[in-house]
Amino acid sequence: MGQAALVAEMPVYPVVEVRGFCKRYRNQVAVDSVDLSIQPGEIYGLIGPDGAGKSSLMKAIAGVLSFEGGKVQVFGIRIDSEAAAERVKGRIGFMPQGLGLNLYAELSVEENIDFFAQLREVPPGLLAQRKRQLLAMTRLEEFRDRPMKQLSGGMKQKLGLACTLIHEPELVILDEPTTGVDPVSRRDFWAILAELLRERGITALVSTAYMDEATRFQRLSLMYEGRVLAAGEPDQIRQAVPGSLVEVTVEPQIEALRRLKAKYPQVEAVGPVLRTFVDGVSSKAAREQVAASLDDLSVEAIQAVDSELEDAFVALLRQRKLAGQPAAGAAGTPLAEPPASDEVAIKARGLTRDFGIFRAVDQVSFRVIQGEIFGLLGANGAGKTTVIKMLTGILPPSAGQGQVAGADMRRARQAIKEHIGYMSQAFSLYQDMTVLENIRLYARIYAVPRSQLKQRIDWVVEMAGLQGVEDRLAGKLPMGIRQRLALGCALVHRPRVLFLDEPTSGVDPIGRRRFWDILVQMARVEQVAILVTTHYMSEAEHCDHVALMYAGRIIADASPVQMKQALQQEAGQLLDIATDRPLRALKALEQAGFAGVALFGRRIHLLAKDPQQARQQIESRLTQQGISLLDITPRIPSLEDVFVYRVMAREKEARSQ
Amino acid sequence: MTHSTWNSSGSIYLWWSRMAAMTSKELLQLARDTLLVLAVLYLFTLDIMMAGGVKMDLSKATVVVHDADHSPASRELIYRFQQPYFQLGGEILDQKEGIRLLDQGKALMVLDIPPRFQHDLIQGRPTEVQVRIDTSNTVLGTLAASYSGQIIGQYGFDAALQRMGLTAEGLAAVPMFVDRHRVWYNPNQKDSWFMSISELLTVITVLAMMLPAAAAVREKERGTIEQLLVSPLTPVQILLPKVVAMTLVILLGTALSLTLVIKGIFHAPMKGSLPLFFAVTAMYTFTMSGLGLFVSTMSRNLAQAAMMIIMIMMPIILLSGAWTPPEAMPVGIRQAMYISPLYYYIEVSYDILLKGAGIGILWDSLLGLSLLGSLVFGFGVWRFRRQFRS
Amino acid sequence: MKPTRIKALAYKEWREILRDRLFLSLAFIVPVSMMLIFGYGIKLDVENIPFAVLDQDRTAMSRDYLHLFMDSRYFDYKGHVQSERELEPLLADSKIRFAIIVPPNFQENLKAGRPVAVQSLIDGTFPFRTSTSKGYVIAINNAFNGKLLAGFISRKMGVPPGQAAALVEPVKVQLRYLYNQEIKSLWSIAPTMMMFILLMTPPFLTALGVVREKENGSIYNIYSSTVTRAEFLVGKLLPYLGISIINVIILWLMAVLVFAAPFKGDPLFFFLASVIYVSCTTGIGLLVSLFARTQVAAMMITVVVTIVPAVLYSGLLVPIASMDAASQFEAHLFPAMYYTDIALGSFLKGIGMGQLWGRVGALLFYSSVLWIAAYLLFHKRVRT
Repeated sequence: MGQAALVAEMPVYPVVEVRGFCKRYRNQVAVDSVDLSIQPGEIYGLIGPDGAGKSSLMKAIAGVLSFEGGKVQVFGIRIDSEAAAERVKGRIGFMPQGLGLNLYAELSVEENIDFFAQLREVPPGLLAQRKRQLLAMTRLEEFRDRPMKQLSGGMKQKLGLACTLIHEPELVILDEPTTGVDPVSRRDFWAILAELLRERGITALVSTAYMDEATRFQRLSLMYEGRVLAAGEPDQIRQAVPGSLVEVTVEPQIEALRRLKAKYPQVEAVGPVLRTFVDGVSSKAAREQVAASLDDLSVEAIQAVDSELEDAFVALLRQRKLAGQPAAGAAGTPLAEPPASDEVAIKARGLTRDFGIFRAVDQVSFRVIQGEIFGLLGANGAGKTTVIKMLTGILPPSAGQGQVAGADMRRARQAIKEHIGYMSQAFSLYQDMTVLENIRLYARIYAVPRSQLKQRIDWVVEMAGLQGVEDRLAGKLPMGIRQRLALGCALVHRPRVLFLDEPTSGVDPIGRRRFWDILVQMARVEQVAILVTTHYMSEAEHCDHVALMYAGRIIADASPVQMKQALQQEAGQLLDIATDRPLRALKALEQAGFAGVALFGRRIHLLAKDPQQARQQIESRLTQQGISLLDITPRIPSLEDVFVYRVMAREKEARSQ
Repeated sequence: MTHSTWNSSGSIYLWWSRMAAMTSKELLQLARDTLLVLAVLYLFTLDIMMAGGVKMDLSKATVVVHDADHSPASRELIYRFQQPYFQLGGEILDQKEGIRLLDQGKALMVLDIPPRFQHDLIQGRPTEVQVRIDTSNTVLGTLAASYSGQIIGQYGFDAALQRMGLTAEGLAAVPMFVDRHRVWYNPNQKDSWFMSISELLTVITVLAMMLPAAAAVREKERGTIEQLLVSPLTPVQILLPKVVAMTLVILLGTALSLTLVIKGIFHAPMKGSLPLFFAVTAMYTFTMSGLGLFVSTMSRNLAQAAMMIIMIMMPIILLSGAWTPPEAMPVGIRQAMYISPLYYYIEVSYDILLKGAGIGILWDSLLGLSLLGSLVFGFGVWRFRRQFRS
Repeated sequence: MKPTRIKALAYKEWREILRDRLFLSLAFIVPVSMMLIFGYGIKLDVENIPFAVLDQDRTAMSRDYLHLFMDSRYFDYKGHVQSERELEPLLADSKIRFAIIVPPNFQENLKAGRPVAVQSLIDGTFPFRTSTSKGYVIAINNAFNGKLLAGFISRKMGVPPGQAAALVEPVKVQLRYLYNQEIKSLWSIAPTMMMFILLMTPPFLTALGVVREKENGSIYNIYSSTVTRAEFLVGKLLPYLGISIINVIILWLMAVLVFAAPFKGDPLFFFLASVIYVSCTTGIGLLVSLFARTQVAAMMITVVVTIVPAVLYSGLLVPIASMDAASQFEAHLFPAMYYTDIALGSFLKGIGMGQLWGRVGALLFYSSVLWIAAYLLFHKRVRT
């Protein structure tokens, strides 16, 4: 009945109506003639890389940013002045970008919620009730009195959501709520958001840099450099891009990759699978073309699959010639096998670090070989950054030993520093200096000889693809280029060991691909040992070796292939399920008690010891709910499956204790 | 065993090369901050000009008179209260009105001449003139008391001589001595020389503490410090360039201020060696920067740093003799002054700029300054090293 | 303006301040320690002036004369020198501030009734100190001269020495120091320091508090909510205003109890005037915070707009009355001067609203201008 009442009250006009929106900062155009229309009760997505103009658009709709051109109408009120903006703010909830930045670090969880409630004049009785609900749903109940600054990234975002919803707005605007949040917490966040919005019939405008979150939206706009590339339902957008995706498992992979790259511009190796996007043809034709070019190799499996939004986005940019081609040096780099060398680059033994009574890192041991890419994975706050800080000599360990580049971590800190490169989580170059000035500074800090200085700087510019932006201020560059600049600075002295702490957070797919091309090149050709942390599990697939951290400990340490095998042995076969209504299906399957149920793009993954039996159960369950099952395929799990399963298992364990 | 194509440990050349790179980085960043550059420029020019216009002497203090005698003698005394120190603010009829004027701040002094003033003088009987002074402002009060005492004393003396029939020529035979003052270094006692130089020294102090501290806290707040910490730079190589860069900026500003304002507008003589003055200024800036950096290592954000800097800086400025005569300080504070770098710097600056003193005379102050400087900076580096260890 | 929202804002701000222990303690420690240090430290009295002596006569009379200087509390005797050449480096190095040179045959000439010239060399770098020292020297010389003259007259005219002394000095001066009878600079410094400290600290607290919110992005909570501009400004600044008002009370108590400065005025009037003054200085911080985008910039601008006027144009060191016209004009532009008058008036003169209404009005005007300007400049829908 509540729903019915809401429906009856629903306005007939679109909640948000944007026409020809333009925003300039000084003389730089940030958003250029964007149209947008959001219907009541809809979850509308803005997807695009950093710098695409999402934030400007959202702020303008929230009435906190003035703009130069076009028309913005919210709840039928035209937002063209501060006074007009004030009239709609009571009905809007806005959460700006940045992990916990809009919250008050010194205040506790409850105090934060109370403040937002009082600001919005929520009556005390109602506040107590809503607070109870929201805290229960976000599972922050037990952290009520904990200061916000001590929450993990995922918890901060959930608290931010609770604060934004405390006055039950009719429209919420969330600016990249999941950027910088680990995969498990991200899923959690979306599930909570979806439920809250559905329950209360709230309209939402949400932006994200993660393409795989597109399924969460009813409709979305794909943005790039201030313009809308495509808009509509996620499937429409995907299908509107002419071409098909072919996945192939083939031996030897290097040779296959070389051949495919020569022929197709969009080829990607994800673990043992090569994904190739073939422009402009049907799926059948695409499969045949790929198979033909690999005919003399031993093809284990080949199938045409539905492309994900990320594939479509990359293809769109490529087809419209908006994004540059991969850097010349990195294009076609063969993904050689992991190095045969056994020269140890990094060795950690029993590394431990305490902050007061809190143990951030507990007995961590691993080794990285020269020329290897080593991935350190884990949720926010698992201790990854602390491990890196100890190995790079920023933070002394409480216990344990480490060796980096052949030198002891405790005794030869200075020697280590000269042989390592480091890129920290936050952009840590000087934003008020130009690209060249930054590179030159680091070249001189790392004592590149004067005679080689120019040559080395040129090398960095070329390698990192920074041609054309040499004299721009680092702070004014899009995120993707900034991160490549940071990588270039970390590589300017040709270090033997490279530490990268979430280097691609918030970078667009193309930017991330280029970034990884460089990393692979450095590892394979220059034999640099790379230790990297990331929240993008598709990137972790590129690693030769992966360690999974949870609550300060390493809970798994193996190659990606081994990890997947271990998961299959332990939890069973992975089933990849396609339905017409993924979000409802997800809920149904979760309730049915399957293990490891999780949403991947538009598909649902779950693990089953007995696939045959599970298949039947799924079918009947979904039919019951009126959801039509499109396809069930057994699959090799991805690293993301491994991560989500392992971390969720641990969390469940921790909660039950 | 090392793989790198060059070895970068130890060599002196490398040390300097890194220092130079970091220093030019600091300068570049400063130059990009337009607002900061404008503030620095303002402080070195307009601000010092304004300060130079301030006078610390009694000037045209209003005197009101209650004259109960109305005689030629009383009028003569009254007319001796003249500019530049005093000006007559009119006559009042009773004591109450005088108090009222003093209360309102409309007069600084009330001169009260008793009835029969002239009569008593002629008779050779002692008479008494009453002077009421508003001493709520000690400086003005003291000066007014001193000057009015001199004026009345001189008047009485003249009257006595006149009564005894002694003329100016006759005085030559009287056993008295003549006071010959010679005011050195600033013979016309121009306030602008003192005030502008004092302000310059204050500005140097403020900037020397704030600029490097702000730069250091900013690196911490923006996270750029991490990238430096993993580099082969030593803490000294991270901190010292900030000091060097800001010192350069301050020296430049000082040169600007000396030529444009202090010499250009106020015509203060530059008697001593300017290179020596700049060397001392560099040393002083170095010391104060060390203090600022020390503060920056203790604070997590700029708000804390700012409060602490004010707490340290204001006593140093006000108690070291920039604006008040240091000799009059109570013993305890005078001893504390010996650890204030500004105390030495002020002495040395006036000695060089106005008095033309050279290194032979100033070596002890310079020694004190350099000792303090290395101590403070060393302490700052030690704190910096420690703060990332916990 | 809804009180609930103002309360929410103020309460949140207050909690944040409370949790930042260092900041909170500095907010109170800085004013108190400044008061202590300056109260005991600033002395504008010219005392203990170091001097040296060149006695070329070395007779009983020259020693008598010089002892007048050595025994004075205004002077600090540093020693004898042998020649004039030795004096120069001492003066140049600021080891001494002035020197007395007694010529040869000082006693002989005086006894013989011949005039003698005594020289004093005074360091002119600090004109205030120079003129005060000069005044002291003149006073001592006059006293010595008076004695000489009285002796001469009593011998020549045959009058008793006592009468002769009266003849030489027919007009006595009765100096009455009003408001601060013992010319304790502490008494006048304590109220002036209140002015100074309350001008320095509130703008820093305020500017950094607001800019911090701007810099880390939580200001968007305000932008996007229905809180009005006025509510935000009032709520945000109430805690800072509160801290400053507490500081007013603490400083007042210190002035009265620790420095024993007399308070003759009306406490309620003074308190209210102080609150207006503090709202002025808080307003300065607020205005700065609206212009500055980063905390560094906020800090520098605050320094520029407060420290300099606080030291130079407030009457703290330099009496406004003795400034030239241009400086006086500048002094009138800052609120400090008016409050100095109010503080001194309330403490030492015991005057109140009747005499000081103009000053209070000026502060009120100043404060309203600042707050209105801040209100007009603050926008919830921004350009960048």
